[in-house]
Amino acid sequence: MNHGATVALAVGQTALLAVVAPYLVGVTRAVRARLEGRGGGRLRQPWRDLRKLLRKQPTSPPDASLFFVAAPPVLLATSLIVAGAGPFVAATSVFASADLIVVVGLLLLGTVALALAGLDTGTAFGGMGASREMIIAALVEPTLLLSAFALSVRVGSTDLSTIVAAGVSEPSRVFTPASALAAIALAIATLAETSRIPVDNPSTHLELTMVHEAMVLEYSGRDLALVEWAAALRLTILLGLLANLFLPFGVATSLAPLPLLIGALVFVLKLVVLAAALGAGEVFAAKLRLFRVPELLAGSFVLSLLAVLAAFILAGPVTP
Amino acid sequence: MTADQLFDLAFNLSCGLLLLTAVGTLWRREVSALITILVVQGIALTAIAMLLASRQEDGAEAVWVAAGVGLVKVVIIPLLLLRVQRLVPGARETRPLANVASSLLAAAVLSLLAYAAARPLAQVSTLPTARATPIGLALVLIGFFLAATRQRAVSQIVGVLLVDNGIAAIAFLATDGVPLIVELGVSVDLVLAVLVLQVLTARLVQTFGPTDLDDLRELRD
Amino acid sequence: MRIDLALYGPVAAPLAAALLAVLLPRRLAAFLSLLAAGAMLAAALVLASRTAHGETVVDGLLRADALTSWLLVTVGAVATIACWAGLHHLRDEADAGHLAGRSARRYLVLVQAFLACMAVAVLSANLGVLWVAVEATTIITAFLVGHHRTRASLEAAWKYVVLCSIGVGIAFLGTVCVYAAAVATGASGLHALDWTFLREHAAQFDPRLMRLAAGLVLLGFGTKAGLAPMHAWLPDAHSQAPGPVSALMSGVLLAVAFSAILRYRAVFDAALGPGYVRALLLVTALLSLALAALLLIGQRDYKRLLAYSSIEHMGLVALGTAIGGPLALSAVLLHILGHGLVKAVAFCSAGQLLHRVGSSRIDAVRHAVATVPAVAAPFGVALVALLAMPPFPLFATELGLARAGFTAGYGWAIGVAILLVLVAFGAIARHGLSMLLGSSTPDHSPAPAPSAADVTGGAAGAVAGAGPVAPAGDAAPTGDAEPTGDAAPAGGVAVLTAEHGTVSEPAHGRPYRVGLRWVPLTLGLLAAAVVGVWLGPLAPLLDSAARIAAGQ
Repeated sequence: MNHGATVALAVGQTALLAVVAPYLVGVTRAVRARLEGRGGGRLRQPWRDLRKLLRKQPTSPPDASLFFVAAPPVLLATSLIVAGAGPFVAATSVFASADLIVVVGLLLLGTVALALAGLDTGTAFGGMGASREMIIAALVEPTLLLSAFALSVRVGSTDLSTIVAAGVSEPSRVFTPASALAAIALAIATLAETSRIPVDNPSTHLELTMVHEAMVLEYSGRDLALVEWAAALRLTILLGLLANLFLPFGVATSLAPLPLLIGALVFVLKLVVLAAALGAGEVFAAKLRLFRVPELLAGSFVLSLLAVLAAFILAGPVTP
Repeated sequence: MTADQLFDLAFNLSCGLLLLTAVGTLWRREVSALITILVVQGIALTAIAMLLASRQEDGAEAVWVAAGVGLVKVVIIPLLLLRVQRLVPGARETRPLANVASSLLAAAVLSLLAYAAARPLAQVSTLPTARATPIGLALVLIGFFLAATRQRAVSQIVGVLLVDNGIAAIAFLATDGVPLIVELGVSVDLVLAVLVLQVLTARLVQTFGPTDLDDLRELRD
Repeated sequence: MRIDLALYGPVAAPLAAALLAVLLPRRLAAFLSLLAAGAMLAAALVLASRTAHGETVVDGLLRADALTSWLLVTVGAVATIACWAGLHHLRDEADAGHLAGRSARRYLVLVQAFLACMAVAVLSANLGVLWVAVEATTIITAFLVGHHRTRASLEAAWKYVVLCSIGVGIAFLGTVCVYAAAVATGASGLHALDWTFLREHAAQFDPRLMRLAAGLVLLGFGTKAGLAPMHAWLPDAHSQAPGPVSALMSGVLLAVAFSAILRYRAVFDAALGPGYVRALLLVTALLSLALAALLLIGQRDYKRLLAYSSIEHMGLVALGTAIGGPLALSAVLLHILGHGLVKAVAFCSAGQLLHRVGSSRIDAVRHAVATVPAVAAPFGVALVALLAMPPFPLFATELGLARAGFTAGYGWAIGVAILLVLVAFGAIARHGLSMLLGSSTPDHSPAPAPSAADVTGGAAGAVAGAGPVAPAGDAAPTGDAEPTGDAAPAGGVAVLTAEHGTVSEPAHGRPYRVGLRWVPLTLGLLAAAVVGVWLGPLAPLLDSAARIAAGQ
C-alpha cells in the first residue's frame, strides 16, 4: 500500500469532515426551520458562531481542575482521529485497520472526558448532566458495537473498512433482513450518542431536559468552540458510519484520484440527505421523558442483539 | 432474482419478523398494540408454513395445514382477543413485575439461552430450515416470561399464545410440520382455550368489575 | 364384535351420555351419566380379561394392553363413584334452589366429555393423539372448576387454564422433539408418533434431543399430574370445583396424566437408559412430597387439604416409578387405583359436607360425627384410608414401595419419603380429628360472629338464606364478604358454630334429605378395602401391567 497516498487520504478526509461538520448542523437547523415555517439561519451560521467563539477568551469555574481544561482538546482529538481513520471516502484505512472496537472506544473516550469535565465544574448542572449522560452511554455503546458486529459476522472481520468493502462488492452476502434490525438499532444509538431528539434536545437549557448541554454549560470562548465543533464532528462521523455501513454504494475501493473524488462527493451527498432527514424527523418527534429513555435504549440494544443472533442463525442460503 | 433467492429472502424476513414481534410484545404497554403485534406474528408464521409447504412434493395437505394455521392465528384468535379487550377498553400494563427496560434485557438473555438450548434440535434435523429453530425456542421462552411477569389478564393470554406460536414455529422449522391430526387438535385446542379465557374474563368483569381483573391473588396458602 | 365394543365402549358411552344430556331432563340425564360410567367400568373389565396375560387389542388408533386395561378399570371405577355422587350433588343444588337448568346440563355434558377424553387418552396408540386428549381435558374442566360463579372459583379456573395451557404446551414441545428425532431417522407422518414404533426404534434416536424431550415431557405432563414445580393450579382448582368434579380430577385426571409419563418413560428408557429419567423423576417426586407435607401442616381448608394430599400421593407414585422394576411398578399401579377410589370418596363426601355445613374451613366443622353423621362417616373413613391404614390399599402399596426402594438401593430416598409422609400423616390426622371428633368450643373462631370466611358459592348462599336476608340468585355474597378475613357476610349467617352446633337448612326448597347419598361412598370404600386385601382376578392383570410399565 502506498503510504504517501494513504496518509494524504487520511489528512484530506479529516479536513473534509472537519469543514463539512458545522455545515451539516446548519443543514439540520435549516430544514427544521423551513418545516416549522420559520426563515431560519443560513447554512454558514454554525461556522460563523465557531469563528466568533474562537476569538473570545475562555473562562473556567474557580474549582475546575485538569479534567475541565483537558476535555475539549481530548474530545476534538478523538473525533478527528476517527474522522481520519474511518471508511468514509474510501473503503481503505490509513492504519492497518479501523477496527470497530477501537472506533467505538475512541468515541467513548470523548464521551467520558466530557462527563468528567461536567463533574469537575462543581456545579449542580454539570453533575446532573454527567450522570444522565453515563446512563445513556451505558446502553448506547454496546448497541453501537453490536449493530456493527451484526454485519461483521457475515464478513468475518471487525475491520470497518473491510465491512464496507464487502458491502460494496458482495451486497447479497452481507445484507440479510437482519441487517435492517441492525440499521434501526444503529440509528437509535446515533440519536442517543449525538444528543438529538428524542433522547436529548440540543437547543434546550431547561434543567429538566438537559443532558449534553448541562455538561458544557460552563464552557465559553475557545473551549466552547472546540466542544461545539467536536459535537458536530461526532454527528458527522456517526451519520457517515450509518450511511457507509448500510448504503455502501459510491465508496471508493482504490486510491486513484477519480474514484476518491466520486467517493467524497457521494459521501457528502449521503450526509446531507441524512442530516435533512434528521432535521425533518425532529419536527415531528417529541423528546422522551427521561425515565423512558432507558426503555428506548434497551429496545435498541435488544434489536442489535437480535440482529447478531439472526446473522449467526440465518447464515447462508436456506435452499440446499 | 431466482426462485431460490426469493425463497431465502422471504424465509429470512419471516423469521426476523417472528423475533421482532416477540420482542415487541415486551416493549409495548397498550393491550391493543399487543393484539396487533400478535396478528403480525401470525402472518409471519403462516408465511413460513406456506413457504415450507410450497417446497414439498405432495404439498397439498401441507398447504391446507398452513391455511388452517393462518386462519386460526390471524383471524379467529385476534377476534376473540378483541372481544376480551373491549371489556376493558384503553387497558395498559401499569404494574408489571419487571419494567419494560429490564424485560427487554431479559428478552435478550432469553434469546441467547434459546440459541444455546436449541442446538440439539437444529443439528439433528436434516432440513436446511432447521437452523432457525432457536427463533422458535426464543418465542417460547419470551412467552413464558410474559405470562409470568404481567398482571393483566390479556397479557397473560398473549403470553400463552406466544408459547404456542413458538412451538408451532419449531414444529414447522425442524420437522416440516407435525401430522395433520395433531395439528388439527392443536389449533382447535388453542381456539377453545382462548374462547374459554374470554368467557372467564367476561364473567370476571361482569361480576366484579374491570379493575379486579388484575387482583387474582386471593387463593393462596 | 365384542372386542370392538369393549375397545370403543369407554369412549362411545360417555359421548352418547353427553349428547343425550343436552336433550333430556336433568334427573334422567344424570341417571344416564351414571349408566355410562358403569358401562365404562364394564368395558374395562372385559378388556382386562382379554389382556390379563400380556395380549394386546388393537384397532386403528386405539390400542389396549394390560396397562391400558388397568388404567381403564381405575377410570371406570372412579367415574362410577363420582357420577353416582354427582346425582346427589345435583339434587342438593336443586334443593338449595340455585341450580339453573342450563348449568346442570352443562355440568353433565362436560363431565361426560371429560370421561370420553380420558378414555381416548388411555386407549390411544399414538402419542400425538394422547397429547390432544390431555389438552382437551384442560378446556373441558375449566368450566367445571368455575361452576360456582364466585370470585374464588373464577380465579381458580383462570389460573388452572393458564398454568395447564403452558404446561401442556411444554409437553407438546417435548412431543415435537420426539417427533423430530423420529423423523430424522426416516419415519414420517402419524406413524412416527406410534408408541410401539417409538419403543422399538428409540435406541437409534439422537440422545441429546431425547434428553431435552424427556425434560420437557416430564415438566409438561407433570403439570397435569400435579407434580412440583408446576403444581400451583391443583389446590385452587380442586378446592373450588364441586365435590364430584374434584373427585374426577384427583382420581382420573392425575392418574391418566401420570400414565402418559409412564408411556413416555418406556420410550426414553429405550433411548437413554434408565438413569436419566429416574433422576428427573426422583427430584420431582421428593420435591412434590416435601411441598405437600409442609403445606399440609398449616392448612385451613379441608378441600385444599385433600388437594395437597393428592400432590403427596402423586409424589409417591413418581417415586415408585423412579425406582422402577416390576415390584415397584405394581405397587405404583395399585396405588393409582387405591388412591383414586379413596380420594373420590373423600372429595365427594367433602362436597356433601360443604353443602351441609356451608363453609370449607376446617375450624368451621366441629364434632362432625355427632352433628352430621351421614356425611362425616364416609369422610372420616376416607381420611383413615388416606392415612394408609390397613385394610385399605395405600397401606400395602406404601409398604411395597418401601421394600422395592430398599432392595433397589434407594434407601436414602425412601427414608426421606417416609419422613415426609409421616409429617403429612400428622397434619392430616390432626386436622381430621379436629373436624370429626373435635371439642365443641374451638380456640379461635369469633363467637358468635359467623365465620363464612371462605365464600364458596352455592352452599354459602344457601346458608346465608337461613338468616332474614336472602342473597340474590346464585351469586355468593360479593361486595361485603372479605373472603380471606373473618368478616360477617350480609345478614346473620348461622353456620355450624361450636356453641349451638346448629346446622343450616337450605334457603329455598326442600329440607335436607340424607337419602341414599352414602351408597356410592360406602361402595367405593368397600371396593378399596377389598382391593387392598385381595386382588383376586385382577392380580395377573396387575402383573402384566407392571411388566409393561417397567419396559419388559
